[in-house]
Amino acid sequence: MTPTFPMMKVLGTVSLVCGLLIVATNISTSAKIHQNQEIVMHESVEHLLPGLQKQIVYGVEDSGDLKILPTVEGENVKRFFAGYDASGKLLGIVVEASERGYGDLISAMYAYAPDRKIITGFQVVDMRETPGLGSRIASDPEFAKNFTALDATHPIKTVKHGTKQNPWEIDAISGATISSRAVGRMLAKSVQEMVPVIEKNMDRIQRGN
Amino acid sequence: MNDSLTHIFVDSLLINNFVLCVFLGMCSFLGLSQKFSTAWRMGVSVMFVIIVSGVLSFGAHALLAAFNVEYLRIIVYIIIIASTVQLTEMFIKKTSPALFRELGVYLPLITTNCAVLAVPLFQDSRRYNLLQSTVFAIAASAGYCLAICLLALIRERTDLSDIPSLAKGTALTLILAAILSMSFMGFAGMGSGG
Amino acid sequence: MSDNAVACHPATPPPKGADNPFVNGLWKQNPVFVQVLGMCPTLAVTNSVANAVAMGLCTTFVLASSNCLVSCVRKIVPKQVRIATFIAIAATMVTIVDYLMKAISISMSKALGPYIPLIVANCIVLERAESYAARRPVVKATLDGLGMGFGFTFALTCLGSIREVLGAGTFLGFSVFGPHFEPWVLFLLPPGGFISMAIWLLIFATWRERKAKKAVAAARAEEEKTQMAVLA
Repeated sequence: MTPTFPMMKVLGTVSLVCGLLIVATNISTSAKIHQNQEIVMHESVEHLLPGLQKQIVYGVEDSGDLKILPTVEGENVKRFFAGYDASGKLLGIVVEASERGYGDLISAMYAYAPDRKIITGFQVVDMRETPGLGSRIASDPEFAKNFTALDATHPIKTVKHGTKQNPWEIDAISGATISSRAVGRMLAKSVQEMVPVIEKNMDRIQRGN
Repeated sequence: MNDSLTHIFVDSLLINNFVLCVFLGMCSFLGLSQKFSTAWRMGVSVMFVIIVSGVLSFGAHALLAAFNVEYLRIIVYIIIIASTVQLTEMFIKKTSPALFRELGVYLPLITTNCAVLAVPLFQDSRRYNLLQSTVFAIAASAGYCLAICLLALIRERTDLSDIPSLAKGTALTLILAAILSMSFMGFAGMGSGG
Repeated sequence: MSDNAVACHPATPPPKGADNPFVNGLWKQNPVFVQVLGMCPTLAVTNSVANAVAMGLCTTFVLASSNCLVSCVRKIVPKQVRIATFIAIAATMVTIVDYLMKAISISMSKALGPYIPLIVANCIVLERAESYAARRPVVKATLDGLGMGFGFTFALTCLGSIREVLGAGTFLGFSVFGPHFEPWVLFLLPPGGFISMAIWLLIFATWRERKAKKAVAAARAEEEKTQMAVLA
């Protein structure tokens, strides 16, 4: 029976080497990973706010005040992106939201126009929905039409396919009720939470500082 | 995440069953389901390991996050799981040597069961709090136990049937699993509010 | 040949003639179709060929590097802690490949989801470390890791092909049947994974049985020939 000390020594050395390898990988890849994340974010925001020239990332503090975040890091902070065109005019605000769908979490972004109080675009960032059914929330052009002028002044609701009557309702995809409802819940919750904050700080956002 | 506890429970147990829908714990699911007696014993052991290591991993993740060394989480979770399995082995050896002999070499193999490692990983990505994590661990492991027992019961029956020699063994098990998985898809709309 | 050799069975000795570890891993002892190991990612990420290949390559990296390192330390690791050491090495390699994947392609990393960290629980990794790499020199062990890894990738690609072509009508994103094809979505769903795997196993079982029958027939023909030669 091998005595304890050599066992511990070997295990300890192996752990140390492994730990060093991991730390080295982390250090060498973290810059590239952040860069990738920023590119993906920027592309999504650009897609939702055509004509985007400049964007500012605002983080929402507990007090309801805003602070400017230098990078897209800090996913634990509630944040939104304010997009401006070349002349500095506010194009719109892109908000992140997430909700549990049929599979795992659905992460998405939507564009909000504060002057008209409507949602002008919706884009899925990450999802694990059923391929061919729930996944159509990202690809179905009919579903996307729901979000060109979604009224955000009333509570947003998902209704059965073909029964949409009001501008604050979302027409569900037939066969993908659960995923469609998740999108509705996600937007309703996010609008309820973020719009008051945005309105409160509207001056600052318009100015862009 | 603000999922309700009932929703988490029903979801992990039935709607997104760990074995039949998320494909975790496959190796032991396919290999240990010949007899119901082995299957349920394995299921219960795995349940114990998942619940204990799930709760401990939640604590470990909180600690790692506090020190900003989250990239060490895979190694830390594996260590927790291996230790839990070791503990379980010793516990079973003391309380029921017969069970220990019956499970044999498959007990230490729980360490490499993907379902066990997946539970803390999912807890992280869904940002569950402690209570939600515990319910999730219980439901997910119960789902595994349920699936392996169901398959074992079916396999015991089919053992007595006339099956072409080509399909005997893993191919048949996979087809049975496919049918089970399809039937579990029927749970899709359960308990989802909104 | 019983293909009930599942559930991460303990160390199996390699079959005779397995002196080229690379070819062995690729075909004769293919981890998915012959040894039926590593089923979790096989069924989970094969609903598109791109995902299947990416997962296969990640696993190859982990297998090769883990086998290499295990072989390097095989002489100095005491028996009691060898499993713990192998697992630690595997976990490190998996963490590395996880971050490399995020740096190379965030979209692919998201698509593969939690299954990359789960490579450490992939039975193949520990089984090869325990049964092969711990007893062989570094070069052979690495080749074995590469062979098993490529065999795994090949198997995943086979599965992914059936599932994507039938389930979505595309191959690597390119439409195969044209716009009027109604895809068999079942193949993209969990039951489809099980069924596709069963189909491939049946195909290989048929092929093996035919080969065995031919071998028996050939042996009998030989025997008859020698008997005729004796009588003549």
